[in-house]
Parts: sequence; structure tokens; C-alpha cells
Amino acid sequence: MNRTVVILAVSRILALAALAVLLAACATAPKKDLALEQVKSQLQELQADEALAGYAPLALGEAKRALRQAETASGDKTYRIHLIYMADRRIQIARASAQYEQMEAEFDRLEEERSAMLVRSSKLEAKRARLEAEQARMISAARVEDANRAREEAQQASSREEESARNAYQAREEAEAAKALAVSSATAAELSRREADLATEQADSLRRQLENLQLRQTESGVVVTLGDVLFETGQSGLKKEAQSSLVEVVDLLQSQPDHKIRIEGHTDSTGDVMANLKLSEQRANKVMDSLVALGVDPVRVTAAGMGEDFPIASNDTEEGRSQNRRVDVILLDD
Amino acid sequence: MQNLVFLLILLLLSACATPKPSTDAFTSAEEALETAVQAGAEEHSPVELRFAREKLAEAHKGMEYKQFDKAIYLIDQSEINSELALEKTRAAIVRGKVTDLARENEILREDFESTYGEDFK
Repeated sequence: MNRTVVILAVSRILALAALAVLLAACATAPKKDLALEQVKSQLQELQADEALAGYAPLALGEAKRALRQAETASGDKTYRIHLIYMADRRIQIARASAQYEQMEAEFDRLEEERSAMLVRSSKLEAKRARLEAEQARMISAARVEDANRAREEAQQASSREEESARNAYQAREEAEAAKALAVSSATAAELSRREADLATEQADSLRRQLENLQLRQTESGVVVTLGDVLFETGQSGLKKEAQSSLVEVVDLLQSQPDHKIRIEGHTDSTGDVMANLKLSEQRANKVMDSLVALGVDPVRVTAAGMGEDFPIASNDTEEGRSQNRRVDVILLDD
Repeated sequence: MQNLVFLLILLLLSACATPKPSTDAFTSAEEALETAVQAGAEEHSPVELRFAREKLAEAHKGMEYKQFDKAIYLIDQSEINSELALEKTRAAIVRGKVTDLARENEILREDFESTYGEDFK
């Protein structure tokens, strides 16, 4: 603007000078015109301004035209000065116009820059929000995982506990069972051994009984027959082997201590009747004496010789006669 | 001094007669001045606006002294100063807007850079 003032001042001085010249004489314009040169250089300066290049071409065109008009003007000096002034203003207008357009362009650029920044920031904001959401999701997932793991561990721990409790219980039970089994098997073994022993014993005694004793149930009671094998043939004396049979008979008799005992001697039909009677009586007494000697109460016992009159088998065969030669020990049913 | 100049011009012009400037020329110059004022030239281009006013006033004086030739030039010069004032005002206004927006953008950029760091650059 200072320049404008200066130019104005200069142009005013020039105008006055021109007027003075004009008044002095109606002479022609000088070839060299400082004012015009100055305006021209201003136009060149504007055209050389790279920042403004290309802006306001219309205004620039008008400035050029105005300058050309000033250059080509002839005659009236006042008119030429006027045209130079107008050209100067036109150049100023072209400059301002170019500046205006440049500023408009700059403004547009800044607005674009602004919206680009806003777009970028909103993208970053979205990205940040996404990251935060992702983080939050990861944290919550981790928490859920932790909770699950904790729950699983708790479950495992409790199931382990249960299992170990169960195992301990099972082990205890098994141990007890094993112990019980051991005990019971020992007991069973013991028992079975004892049973075996007993069975053997019983078998033995039964065998002996079956060998030496003949038991019969009669109306009077249980009859134990002592065969003639126990006696020396034709004599009343008992064989040595008869002792064991007698012990068994005593055992039987003592098992029923309240019952009375009758001992009867019998013979076969061979020989003298009276002799047979006497022999049977002697053998019965002999057995009675032996039983009493083995611990049977004598009050319970009576003995009698029955002779040949009560056979239990036929006297026609040797086997039958052997069976008939006997002593019956009868455990009386009251 | 100026009065003397006008007087001389008047004397000169009395020799060779020139046509009076049309009232349209004055109207046009006045309208141009008014447009510049409306645009805000008082604030943004006061020197050019003052020239425009002075020249218009001189033109009116020239009319009073019958210096029509001079008055025609002064009307043109007034109008072109109004035109320049308007152009400078527009440029100044948009320059102000550019400055403001550039500052706002800078603030915005700093704000975003502090918020988002390197990502924003």
C-alpha cells in the first residue's frame, strides 16, 4: 500500500510536471517516460511472481491491455498520464485478484487437509476402539478361561480326593477282606483239617464198630451183639482184641447213663443143651464183669445165660451157627 | 495548489471544448464505491477507498469548474480505485480465513498427534 501511496504521489507529481510541460507549450511527449517504465516493471514483477502464476488470467489480460493503451497513447499528455494511472491500477487489481484466487485455493486445500485429518482421526479412533474392544474381549476370555481352569482344577481335586478316598476305602476293604479271607481260610483250613481228622476218626471208629459191634434196634432197646470171634472157642474168656470193642460198647452205654443194661449169652445148637446154657451164662457174666471194670455202674447191669433157644440165624450152616454164638448187650428202653 | 491546477486545466480546457461526463459515469463510480464499502474495504483497503472517494469528490469539483475532461478521468480513477479496494478486500478477507483455518488445522493436528502419537503422522 505504501507503494501505492508512493506511486500515487509520484504520479501526482508527474501529472503536475506533465501539466507544467503542457502549459509551457503544446509539445510532443518525451520518448522516455519514467512513470510508464515503472508501471511496466510492476507488470513484469507480477508476471514473474511464481506463487501467483496462473491466477486471475482475465484481470492480468486487462492490465496488459491497459498498459498497451498507455504505451500507444499519443497526443494529449493528461490523457497519457491518466492511462498510465489506469494501467497501474489494473496491474494492482490483477495482483489482488490473483492473491484472492490463490488464497481461495489455499483455503480449499486447508479444508481438504482438515477433513482428511478428521477422517484419519476417526479411523484411528475406530482402530483404537477396536483394539480396546479386542483387549477387553481377550481379558474377559482370559478371565473366563481362568474361571474354567479353576473350576476344572477344583473338580479334578475333588474327584482326586474322592478317588483317593474311594481307593483308601477300597484298599481298606480289600485288606479287611484279605485278612478276613486269610482268617477264614485259615479257619476253614483248620476246620477242614479237623473235620478231616474227625471224619477219619469217625470212619475208623465206625469201621471198628462195624467190624466188632453189631447194632440192632429191638422192642426192648438197642442191642449190641458181641460175636463169638471175641471169645476163645468153647470157653468163657475174652480174647485180647475184644478189649477195644468193649471200650466202644462202654462209650455207647455211658452215652445213655439213665438206661438199664441187660447182658444175654447165646450159643448155637451143637452140643449139650445144659452145657450150652452154662457156657452162655458164663460168657454173659464175663462181659458184665468186663463192662463194670471199664466204668459201667454195676447197678444198671444184669446178666443171664440164654442157652441155644434164641438163635438169630440158621443153625444148619457154619455161618449161621457163628452168628448164633454171641453175647447181646441190650440198652433197655426203660 | 490543486485549485490552481484546476484553474489552469479549466483555462486550458476552455480553449478546446470537451463533452460533459454522463450522469451514468458518476452513478457507476458511486456504485463501485458502495460495493467496496459493503465488502469491507473501510477495514481491509482504506487507502484505495480514500483515493476513490477523493477522486470522486474532485470529479464533482471539476464539474463545478466545468473541467469536464478532468472530471471524466477522475471518475474513471475513482471507480478503478473502488474496484481495487474491493479486490484487495476480498483477498484480505479470504487471507484472514486462510490464516484462521491454518491455525485451526494446526491445533487439530497437535491435538490428534498428542492423542494418537506417531500413528497420526
